[in-house]
Amino acid sequence: MSAPVVRAFGSRAVLAVAAVLALAPVLFLVSLSLRGVDDISNGGWLPTRVRWDNWPAAFDTVPLARMLANSWLIALGATLLTVLVAVPTAYLTARGGRRGQRLYSVLLAAYCAPPVIAVLPLYFLLKSVLGLALVDGLANVPVAVWLLDGFVRRVPRELEEAGWVDGLSVVAGVRRVVLPLVLPGLVAASLVCFFLAYNEFLFAVSFAQSPSAQPLTVGLSLFQGDRTVQFGQQAAASLVAIVPVYLLAVAAQRLLIGGLSQGAVK
Amino acid sequence: MPLWLAVPAVVSLLVIAGYPTVVGIALAFTNSSLARPLRSFAGFDNFVAAAESVAFAGSLLRSAVFAVLATALSVVAGVAAAVALDARGGRFGLLGTVLLLPMVTPPVSVGVAWKLLLAPVGGAFTGLWDALGIAGFNPLGSGVGAFSTLLVMHAWQWTPLVTLLVYAALLGVPAELREAAALDGAGWLRTLRSVVGPQVAPSVLAVAVLELVIAFKVFDLIVVVTSGGPGVSTTVASFEVFRTAFRGSFEVGTAAAETLLLGLVVGVVLAVAGLVTRRVRDADR
Repeated sequence: MSAPVVRAFGSRAVLAVAAVLALAPVLFLVSLSLRGVDDISNGGWLPTRVRWDNWPAAFDTVPLARMLANSWLIALGATLLTVLVAVPTAYLTARGGRRGQRLYSVLLAAYCAPPVIAVLPLYFLLKSVLGLALVDGLANVPVAVWLLDGFVRRVPRELEEAGWVDGLSVVAGVRRVVLPLVLPGLVAASLVCFFLAYNEFLFAVSFAQSPSAQPLTVGLSLFQGDRTVQFGQQAAASLVAIVPVYLLAVAAQRLLIGGLSQGAVK
Repeated sequence: MPLWLAVPAVVSLLVIAGYPTVVGIALAFTNSSLARPLRSFAGFDNFVAAAESVAFAGSLLRSAVFAVLATALSVVAGVAAAVALDARGGRFGLLGTVLLLPMVTPPVSVGVAWKLLLAPVGGAFTGLWDALGIAGFNPLGSGVGAFSTLLVMHAWQWTPLVTLLVYAALLGVPAELREAAALDGAGWLRTLRSVVGPQVAPSVLAVAVLELVIAFKVFDLIVVVTSGGPGVSTTVASFEVFRTAFRGSFEVGTAAAETLLLGLVVGVVLAVAGLVTRRVRDADR
């Protein structure tokens, strides 16, 4: 066999293994969620008989519907806040010369610190649930700025300058010239921040202590019976959390990949 | 440029970094409870308590080891997948999206999925363990086993980030460079090592630093999968700080002292990583 054939075969083999590894744990959850107690303890990958009762049972055991709604509210609120802060900030870091660079560095440094450092002080500040979207939103600002900065940099300065000559203020220029051009990046950054806020656990488990306000991540962590009886329900509940983000990721695939890979590594 | 554009950024930084640092330092040097913070000055008592806590002292090292090994694992696997994607040619497409899915999975669900996958009863590998003569094998049963399993779970989630960013960097390598190498008689592997490799090295290093940062934050997985056990074998620093502050005795002052020490360790590791990155980058020029 010639070298290119070996290479083509080898690369496909590596990718096939990677795809199986990426999907296997979640597919196993699907299988578990469709099996009865005996079927689960017999082991194996596939259900011997498909049954759906784990799904309604999971919604009865913990208030999953409520938690799913909480997760979405928190993630949407947080993302909105992140975007509102990140747009002017990314404009500054990309166009603000040395001061902008410094702001960029400080933001990245803030992102590097383990978030557990902020938990105690913020606990004293908030002690409430309303703050969760606020904290998640602000905590994701460095990520959004990091992604957006590269997009703003690629907007030709001349376009903005032409706008200024036509009498636009700097802020109006950002809104009417820069923003439309960085829209793909903005959508990608919003998606990433939505995922981060939706998946967030540390702040959620610290601040959202009343069950009615807990997002799904906290609910799932409480859903911990070591008995096999609960496996099917646990699997179903985990999938309730996973399905929306997977659908969103697949639907917005191109934007997400473009936004992450273009903005990030410079 | 209107300066007030910086107001949102400054307010955010104050809330997520400035205020926590100031209050953290204040808490670390005082006696506090969750109900009544900052009761009286405590000098270095909280730091002494942190140093004397067996669980915490070891957890700093465990966090650093976890971060370094998880980074190594994800970078190696992610670069391999990116090179394979690049060699396959064509679009990122559906396959690429499948490879990215672990990254958007809620870490709590990742923990549940893997825990069920590896369960000694009802798990996916019980048949395999039986066949190997180790029936009832539980990878989470021993300290080393649990730590390694968590490393694999974390790498499962964060390898896709490496794949994506390194693949993007590979696409950025000018085609002329590869063609020139081919004309000079270099094979695929030789071109990869001597021409493409140096081109994407800065991106790989940048991703590695990012992975290091993310691995230091690991918390959800520990809570869901092991709760820091067996013993303290998987008690990483962020988990131990959280436990000191909120579970058990609510030792707020000690927890604050611990967060400062953790911040210091993370800072040192990242500074070393930054130094290495700069060395490599400068050596290229």
